[in-house]
Amino acid sequence: MSTRRTGGPDEPPRDGEPADRPAEDRAPPSPSSPARRFGAPPSASIPRMEHVRLTAPDLARRAAMEKTRGRLVVAAAGFALLFTAVALKLADATVIDPLRPPPVVAMRRPDPPPPPGSLTSLVAANVDLGRPASRATIEDRNGQILAISLPTASVFANPHEIFDPAGAARALKSVLPDLDEALTTKRLADQSHQFVYIARQITPRQELRINALGIPGVDFEHTERRRYPLGRTAAQVLGGVDVDGHGVAGVERFFDARLRRDPQPLRLALDVRVQAVVRDELSRAMDEFQAIGACGIVMDVRTGEVIAMVSLPDYDANDVGHASPDERFNRAVTGMYEPGSTFKLQTASMALNDNVVHIWNGFDASSPIHIGRFTITDFEGKHRWLYLPEILAYSSNIGAAKMAEAVGAHRQQAWLYRMGMLSRLGIELPEAGMPLVPPLSNWKEIATLTIGFGHGIAVSPLHIVTGTAAVANGGTLFRPTILAQDSEAAPRQGFRVMRPDTSDIMRKLMRLVVTDGYGKPADVPGYFVGGKTGTAEKASKHGYHKHANVSAFMSAFPMNAPHYAVYMMLDDPKGNAATHGYSTGGWVSAPAAGRVIARIGPMLGLLPQLDNAAEIQASLAIPLEPGVPPGATGSLPPRGLVPLVTRAANPPPPVVPAFPPHDYRHQASLVTPAIALH
Amino acid sequence: MSLLERRLIRETRFEFAAKLWQISWIYVLLLCALAGVGYLALYSAAGGSVQPYAGRQMMRFALGLAVMLGIALIDIRVIARFSWLAYGAGVVLLALVLRMGHVGKGAERWINIAGMQWQPSEFMKLALVLALAAWFHKASWERMGNVLFLIPPALAVLLPVALILKEPNLGTAVITGTVGLAVFLGAGMRWWKLALLVALVALAAPIAYHHLHDYQRARITTFFNPESDPLGAGYNIIQSKIALGSGGLWGQGYLHGTQGHLNFLPEKQTDFIFTMLAEEFGLVGSLAVLGLLALIITGGMLIGLRCRHQYGRLVALGISANFFMYVFVNIAMVMGVIPVGGVPLPLVSYGGSAMVMVMMGFGVLMSVHVHRDVEFAGDRDEG
Repeated sequence: MSTRRTGGPDEPPRDGEPADRPAEDRAPPSPSSPARRFGAPPSASIPRMEHVRLTAPDLARRAAMEKTRGRLVVAAAGFALLFTAVALKLADATVIDPLRPPPVVAMRRPDPPPPPGSLTSLVAANVDLGRPASRATIEDRNGQILAISLPTASVFANPHEIFDPAGAARALKSVLPDLDEALTTKRLADQSHQFVYIARQITPRQELRINALGIPGVDFEHTERRRYPLGRTAAQVLGGVDVDGHGVAGVERFFDARLRRDPQPLRLALDVRVQAVVRDELSRAMDEFQAIGACGIVMDVRTGEVIAMVSLPDYDANDVGHASPDERFNRAVTGMYEPGSTFKLQTASMALNDNVVHIWNGFDASSPIHIGRFTITDFEGKHRWLYLPEILAYSSNIGAAKMAEAVGAHRQQAWLYRMGMLSRLGIELPEAGMPLVPPLSNWKEIATLTIGFGHGIAVSPLHIVTGTAAVANGGTLFRPTILAQDSEAAPRQGFRVMRPDTSDIMRKLMRLVVTDGYGKPADVPGYFVGGKTGTAEKASKHGYHKHANVSAFMSAFPMNAPHYAVYMMLDDPKGNAATHGYSTGGWVSAPAAGRVIARIGPMLGLLPQLDNAAEIQASLAIPLEPGVPPGATGSLPPRGLVPLVTRAANPPPPVVPAFPPHDYRHQASLVTPAIALH
Repeated sequence: MSLLERRLIRETRFEFAAKLWQISWIYVLLLCALAGVGYLALYSAAGGSVQPYAGRQMMRFALGLAVMLGIALIDIRVIARFSWLAYGAGVVLLALVLRMGHVGKGAERWINIAGMQWQPSEFMKLALVLALAAWFHKASWERMGNVLFLIPPALAVLLPVALILKEPNLGTAVITGTVGLAVFLGAGMRWWKLALLVALVALAAPIAYHHLHDYQRARITTFFNPESDPLGAGYNIIQSKIALGSGGLWGQGYLHGTQGHLNFLPEKQTDFIFTMLAEEFGLVGSLAVLGLLALIITGGMLIGLRCRHQYGRLVALGISANFFMYVFVNIAMVMGVIPVGGVPLPLVSYGGSAMVMVMMGFGVLMSVHVHRDVEFAGDRDEG
C-alpha cells in the first residue's frame, strides 16, 4: 500500500514549508513511538515496518496529537481547579459565612460619637458651631434617607491679598488636581476683583489641606450640598434643588419652607424598596415594548398613602439641572391621559351605586352605536347582548356607553365630581395637574357616552388610582398623600362615596377581569389580584392615532381584603412576537403589574394566602352571566329581552351574596364633601 | 485481530445499528439526569407547578435529545467538511441580528426563526469551535510555533467576538473568546503567547472599560461593592447571596425556599436558578449538582482523549470548554464572584434556544465519540 498520499499534491501548503524538511530526516530513528501509541504489540508491528514508510507529515501530526493530549490534561486540570474554587466559595456562601437578610424595617440607631481629632469629628464640630441650620433630611416611610444635606466648602480668594499668584496656584493644584493652574494664576493676579472662586464644593479633607497651606488671602465659604443617595429612584417625587439650595420641583419645592425651618426629617409615604421594584419592572417593560414613557403607582388603599410613584424616563436627582423637560415630567400627576377602559370601573360603580342597573342587567352590544359623526365599537367584540360582568371582563365599549347613557349626564357629573375626577388632586406635589374635562355647562350626550368608557376626558394616573382605591376599599375616598401617615394614632379621614355593598360587587367584578378577562397575566397565586385593563389611543391634533396607545393596568390586591392598589402604564408601547403584535394593556401592562405584586407583596408584609385559596376564591367568584347566580333572588331577565333601564325606573337594590365581614378601619363617616377634594 | 482487520470491519459494517450501539449511553443518561434537575428546579420556580416552565422545558429537552442523537450519527468527517460553512452562517446571522434583531432587555441578541427566538451567538460558539478544529486539524507542532499560521484563526475568533460585543453582550463575548483560546491552546499554541495575551488584555482593560455601556459598567462597579446600590444593580446579587445563606447545609426543603418563592430572588427560572436550588437543597444538594456538571465535563474531556484524530480532540475540548464556561460563569455570577452577565445554567435554566443549541453541541461531541477511530482523508494513522 502506498503511504505517500499525505505528502502528495492534495496538501500543497505543506510542501512549501521548509520547516518540515528536517523533520523527515529525523523520522527513521523513532518509528516505534507511534506504533506503541496505537496499542499494537511490537511483535505484530515489526513485520509491517518493512512495508510502512512513515512520512514526515505523519510524524509531525502525531507529535502534535501527543502535545494535544498533554494540553487536554492541562485543560482538565484547570477546569477541576476552578470547579474546586466554586465549590469552596459555595460552602463559604451557604454554611461558613452566610449573608443574613437585613431587618425588614430599617431601625435608625444613633450614630456613635466620632473619635476626637478625627476628620468626622472636625466636620461635625464645624456643623454644630459655625454653620447655619441645615435643610432637613427627607426619608422614606422606613427611615431610609432619600435626600440629605452634606456640609461642603467653596474656596475663594481676594486677589488684593495674594502676593504670589503663581505660587499660590501651584500650591492649590497640589490639593485640587482638577484645577486649571494657568487660569487660576491669571484670576488670582487680576486686581480688578476682590473676590474670585477657586473651586466650589470641595471635600472636608481638601478644605483641611488647603487651610494647612496657609496661603494668605484664601478663605472658605461654608455651604451645603443636597445629595440624593438613590439617584434616579423617586427623582420626580423628590424634585431637586438649585445651586442655592432652593427646591425647584417635587417635594423639595412643595415643602421648601418646611425643610428650611424645621430640622426634623420629613417622612414620606414612599417605601424605597417598593419604589425600586416598580421602577425596575417598568423599565424592563418599557425596554421590552419600546415604549416612549411609563408610569407606575402603588397606593395603600386604606389610607391613600402613595407607596411608590415612578415616571420614566427619569433623571438623577443629584443633577436636576441637566434633566430634560421630558425626564422632569411626572406622568403620574402632571400627565393627563384618556383613561380608557380603566374608567369602566367608575361607570359600573356609579350605575350600581345609584341603583340605575342591577348586576344581572344586560346591554345590547351586538352592533356599534352611531351618534353624530362618531361610531362606538368594541375591540374584539362579542356582537351580542352582554351582562354587566361580561362588559367589564371583555371590556365592551358599547356596553359601557349604554350603561353611562342609563346613568345620565347629571348623575355622571355628580359622581365624577365626588370622586375628584374633575379637580386637581390634593397631593403635596406642585406638579399636580388639572384634568381635562368637557365644560359642565356643555356636557353633550356624546360626552356622557364616551366618558362611560374613558374617552373624551383626560385625568392623571393618580386620579385613576385614587378613584379605584375608593372602589376597592369599601367606598371611602382618601385624598392621596405623599406624606407618611400614622394611622395607628389617628385614622385618616376620608369621604364615603359609595355603599359598601357596591364596593363588594365591584371587588368581585375586578377579580373576574383577572380570572376570566383580559387581566389574566396579572394574576399572582395567593394574592387574589383584581383589576381592569385600559388601552386608549393617543389623541393628537388630527384625531386619534390608530397605532399609538396608552396601555394601562389598574389593579388592587388582595381582593378579599384590599390593601394596595397597583397601577402600571406604558406610553406608546409596540407589540412584539411574544404578544402577537398586541400593545394593549392586557398584553403589555398586566404582566408587569403581576410581577410587581409578586415582588412587593412579601416586602409589604403580605404573604400569599395559599392554604385556603379555594375558599377565598369561592367567596370572590361571580359568574360572567346569570346561569346560576349565587345568592341572587327574584326573577332574572332572560337574555335578549332586557330593556335598557330608564332613568325613571327604580329597580330593587341588588341582592348581594354574603361577603365575609371586612374591617374598614379607616372607614369614614358619611360625609359628602362640599368640594370633592382639596 | 490486527489493526487492519479492525479497520476493515469498522469501515464495512459501520452502519446505523452499529453506530447507535457506539453512542455513549451513559453520557446520554448523565445529560438526562441534568435535565431532570432542571425539571425539578423549574417546577419549584413556578411555585410547584408544571406550568409554565417545567412542562415546556421537557418538550424542548426531548427535541434537543432528538437533535443530539441525529447529529451523533452524522459522520464526523462530514461535519468537518462543513465547519467553515457553519462558521460563515454564524457570522451572517450575527450580522443580521445587529441589523434587524429583536431587542430584549436593552440588547439586540435575538432573531426569530421557526417561531422561536434564537441567539445566534449560541450557534456561533459551536461553529467557531468546529472551524478552529478544522484549521488546526493537520497542523504540526512546528507549524503551531509559526505566528503567521495563527493569524487567520485568531481573526476568525475576533470577528464574532467583536460582533457579539456590539450587540452588546459582554458575557457571551468573553465566553466565546475564552472557548476559542482553549482550542488554540489545545492545538499547541505556545504558553508564552498566552502569557503575552493575558498581559495585553490586562493593559487594554482600562481602555475597554471606557467604552463599555453604562449598564455594563454598573455591573462591574456593583460587583466590587454590591451594597453600594442595594436597590438597583446590586439587588440581584445581594438577594442571591441571602438565598444561598438561607439554604445552609441541608436547605430549606424542596418547594420551601423562602427567598425564591416570595420573589425576592430575581430571574429565578433563568439566571438565578442555581441559587434557588442551593436555597432549597443546601450545600449538599448544590454540590451534588456541581458534581453532575463536573462528570459531564470530564466525560467530554475523556471523549477527546480517546479520539484518534486531532479534529475530534479539538472539537471535544472546545465543546467541553464551552459547557464549562457556561457553568462556571453562571455559578460564579450568582455567588457574586464575577459580575452579573445574563448567562444561563445550561440544561437547567428555562430557555428554548439555548437548550437546543447546547444539545446540538453534545450531538457533535457524541459524533466525535462514535467516529473516534475513523480516518480522515489524507490521514495515515497506521500502516
